[in-house]
Amino acid sequence: MYTAATRESPLLVWITVLIALVLTLLPLPEWLAALWPNLVLLTVLYWSTMAPAAGGMLVGFVAGLAFDVLSGAQLGQHALAFSLLTYGAIKLHLLTRAKPLFEQAIFVLLALLAYEALLWAIDGVSDRGTGGWARWMHVPVGAILWPVVVGLLGRLHAPR
Amino acid sequence: MALGGGAMNRPSARDLAPGPRCFVFAMLSLALMYFDQRDGWGERIRYGLAAVAYPIQVTIGSPGRMWAATREYFRSRSELREENRHLREQGRELALRAMRLEALEAENLRLRGLHEALPPLVERSRIVNVVNADLGRLRQRLIIDAGENDGLYRSQAVIDARGLMGQLARVGPWSGEVMLITDPEAAVPVEVVRSGVRSIAVGTGAADELELPLLPATADVRAGDLLVTSGLGGVFPPGIPVGTVTESRRDPDELLAVVRARPAAAIDSSRQLMMLWFSRSHPSAPASPEVLGALPEAPVAQPVTRPPEAH
Repeated sequence: MYTAATRESPLLVWITVLIALVLTLLPLPEWLAALWPNLVLLTVLYWSTMAPAAGGMLVGFVAGLAFDVLSGAQLGQHALAFSLLTYGAIKLHLLTRAKPLFEQAIFVLLALLAYEALLWAIDGVSDRGTGGWARWMHVPVGAILWPVVVGLLGRLHAPR
Repeated sequence: MALGGGAMNRPSARDLAPGPRCFVFAMLSLALMYFDQRDGWGERIRYGLAAVAYPIQVTIGSPGRMWAATREYFRSRSELREENRHLREQGRELALRAMRLEALEAENLRLRGLHEALPPLVERSRIVNVVNADLGRLRQRLIIDAGENDGLYRSQAVIDARGLMGQLARVGPWSGEVMLITDPEAAVPVEVVRSGVRSIAVGTGAADELELPLLPATADVRAGDLLVTSGLGGVFPPGIPVGTVTESRRDPDELLAVVRARPAAAIDSSRQLMMLWFSRSHPSAPASPEVLGALPEAPVAQPVTRPPEAH
């Protein structure tokens, strides 16, 4: 339905982000929860890269804020990290969009690493527990899953 | 270019370049973080957001509930009959115990020279459902399906059929967040039933373990001892089972004993919890909702040293 000439519908973006949010926060056994990728962030990164006009920073900020409220983190923590990452993805989207999936996955790895490092720093500054190594596990998992995310979300619209 | 098409006639946040927009959102996030650290403001913002987020929370918790409901539906007849028999037996035993307890209570009152009976400690109770659980190393919390509209208040005691679950840490309009006793931030004033030794039980982040880090090496605590709430701190009434001591070790080099306990409540499997309201006139009732609501966040973590002023 969406041809290359039309924009991606913002509604599609919001719905996929909402679904990803629910999937990310599903209660899981501890070992699985450590490995569980941050699907919201991957979805937001996807839309910022492939359709920056439909996604945009508002989606990133709202998704981050929702993540804060639902996961019980400090308010604004994920909102800040999501906003900054969305900004980076939109800035670089012309560069990254044309790359092969493998190289994109490396960009995603770096982005997720920066994201977790920022959260870790905020936790440290605000005297919250910074957790062990388990919090970093989702970073490589997310990068490995990037091609799957691109494949799934790519079916919902016509990527340019 | 198609991207700038709507910019001329519809001014909105979209028209800002990514740089300034990022700046705006980053500032907004930082402001939120700042206010979340201050008491009051963060709570008010959260209250509004919790209402918006509640449907999503219910959705997130639904696969688990669906699974439980499906399992319940396909239980076999013989299993149900077995459970029925077990419950009937348990009911008989409990009725007998209650009878003995009533007699003891009457005797106790007589011995203490109190002629009229005290009002019952628990004035009202209400069963609530768990809609979502967060049982990680850093947070042990449950989301329940009742909130301020149902009369729940912050720091309210939450129990299940076997013992103390925790206290209400956040109250939204229709939902509440229970801080379990196993949450790393939770601390419950407890008492050993056998010896009367009082201490604080803190959460470890594991659903099956509590720690008593403040007991001296000479304290009279053994594995198998029952821990109940001591009633100090003004949040929980005395006498609610908290757990059983599983390990009590003394290291000759240390001043403090290493004491661990298993919670009495089914922390990670209870789907229905009970909220308690206490009658204010009872001497061992915890502080009133107004007093607890005025306290800074997580009042149990820093036990109240002065008795709350009467209202």
